[in-house]
Amino acid sequence: MRLWEGRREKRDFFAAMGFLLPNLIGFLAFTAGPVLLSLYMSFTNWSLKKSIPLKWIGFRNYTDLFSDGDFWFYFYNTGYFMLGIPLAVGGSLFLANILVDSMRIKVDKTRSRLALITAVVGFLNCAFFIVAGWNDAALFVGIVFLAAFFGVLFGTTTYRTMFYIPSFASGVATMILWMQIFNPEQGLLNNLLYYIVPVGTQLPEWLISTDNLLGFLPLPAHFNSSGFGFGAREAILIMGFWMGIGGNNMILYIASISNIPDSLYEAADIDGAGGFAKFWHITVPSVAATTFFISIMSIIGGLQGGFQMAKIMTNGGPTGTTTTLAYYIFTEGFDELRLGFASSVSWVLFLIVFGATMIQWKYGNKQSEA
Amino acid sequence: MTHNWKQSTEWRAIKAFLKFFFITLLASAMFVPFIWMICTAFKPANEVEMLNFIPHAAKTENFSLVLRLIPDSLSGKFLNIHLFKWIFNSIFVASWVTVLQVTTSSLAAFAFSRIKWKFRNQIFMMYLATMMIPGMILTIPKFQIMVSMNLVNTYTGLILPAAFSAFGTFMLRQFMLGIPLSYDEAAEIDGASWLQIYLDIILPLTKPGLITLAIFTFLGNYRNLMWPLITIKDEALKTVPVGLLSLQGSYQSQTELLMAATMICIIPLIIMFIIMQKKLVRGINLGGGVKE
Repeated sequence: MRLWEGRREKRDFFAAMGFLLPNLIGFLAFTAGPVLLSLYMSFTNWSLKKSIPLKWIGFRNYTDLFSDGDFWFYFYNTGYFMLGIPLAVGGSLFLANILVDSMRIKVDKTRSRLALITAVVGFLNCAFFIVAGWNDAALFVGIVFLAAFFGVLFGTTTYRTMFYIPSFASGVATMILWMQIFNPEQGLLNNLLYYIVPVGTQLPEWLISTDNLLGFLPLPAHFNSSGFGFGAREAILIMGFWMGIGGNNMILYIASISNIPDSLYEAADIDGAGGFAKFWHITVPSVAATTFFISIMSIIGGLQGGFQMAKIMTNGGPTGTTTTLAYYIFTEGFDELRLGFASSVSWVLFLIVFGATMIQWKYGNKQSEA
Repeated sequence: MTHNWKQSTEWRAIKAFLKFFFITLLASAMFVPFIWMICTAFKPANEVEMLNFIPHAAKTENFSLVLRLIPDSLSGKFLNIHLFKWIFNSIFVASWVTVLQVTTSSLAAFAFSRIKWKFRNQIFMMYLATMMIPGMILTIPKFQIMVSMNLVNTYTGLILPAAFSAFGTFMLRQFMLGIPLSYDEAAEIDGASWLQIYLDIILPLTKPGLITLAIFTFLGNYRNLMWPLITIKDEALKTVPVGLLSLQGSYQSQTELLMAATMICIIPLIIMFIIMQKKLVRGINLGGGVKE
């Protein structure tokens, strides 16, 4: 088998190898090695318990996996959470499209005047609420006006930072807060809903309820999917949407949009295209490569996701309805110490992700082959 | 008529105002949990579980305690917290990883996007495939490799495995694919080598991608918990997340102390983000080596 034909291709091949090598060496050592080892281990009874000797057991882990039915239940849960992905990605693109411009008011005089007005009005509002004794209300009003104040002064930087900080500040703190928000009696959400829905409506019990929006589907009994409504899964979907929209995807889209040549937009201006037309016919196609990247990473991340939320907020419950495959792998591998079995779950998951990615690749990667 | 109205200053001002209004409200709503974190850091222990944001009896002792300015009132001892050392370790590790990862990823991405060679797509698929195995299951084999290389409990052991990333390679490849191939061809006619094309054309044009990857890598490694937790035993090598976790364990999860410490530890991240994101603006793509 020849790797090249002629001098030109030979030169290119060695050039490519030169560029690839620094990464490839590390990749083979620290990623490919462990990956192959975990494949081998999935055919053994590998356990973290010292008393159990390592033994080759063939396909037993895999047959166990498919016979006990839990796998499909957790797979269904994982898929359920992934339904929120398209919405979150769309939201990120929408935000990025706004936040890519500097938004800073160019005229110094107008800017400082506006900032002053915002500050004064904000201060008066806050003072009013403090005098009235509503400290928390004063705080929220204060945040809004402070955001507006800094927004007027520094433009997008303010908003980008505000959107992005929560996604890295503290995962645990954020989840504890959402647990309080979802509290059926004292939580912020139900207290708000109480005023919105008609009197006497049963309010959702969120994290402790197995109700879900697909509860009407005729699923096997052990899926614990009874009841149509809002439950633990929806609670986690809402939180996931909130966390995902302003995070890494938003930054990626900002970077990608900022890379679009201005000349494209100028040409559209001459043609008299409106804001939405420009977004739809220039921005969206121009960021296709990034969208492809985000959708692949979302599938990979989604199928491996839900671990932290299950660990901190629900312990996978109620009755397993928020246990995702990642949490299943964790409990089997590190609570039950059955690493061999956990490896086999990982590899079945791998095959599913790989299949999904191949489909994506076939339909979403056209541009890459240009 | 409508055309004129849409060009008018008033219409633009209204549009700008609505945009500001909308984005301010949304940003504030997203910011609430962070505010809750700040408020908790100022709360006395008995208020932590309560729903009020503004503490009834706000105090700054939480910060003094985690900064070791005052001893704990119960035991009379200073807490076993070394925030500045942890922050230094985290910055040190994250900076090295960022530099190495952005370099190796951009080189590999160049080979995967600009040069045509046999098995390019197959090898790239292999890169992608390794991301599809849950990382959790790989930590123990990875640890065993570290043991055999004698890198456990060292800075190198933290930096090296993170320096090569399929994620970064994939991401930068996508950014590089967006650059027209005609740029390379034009440069080649002028006699440029692949290395010159990489340095003078592709790198400047992928700047937003490089900055984005740098942000992700730095943040991700600064707050990475799992790997340092497994490999670091030495008190002097602890990074921020490992330190904070030990804080949670040894002081019966005093949430208010944890929040105060977390707040101090993320200040470097916020500064880094504000500086880096400034470079993500429209129209820098033609400011580099290529002018049409």
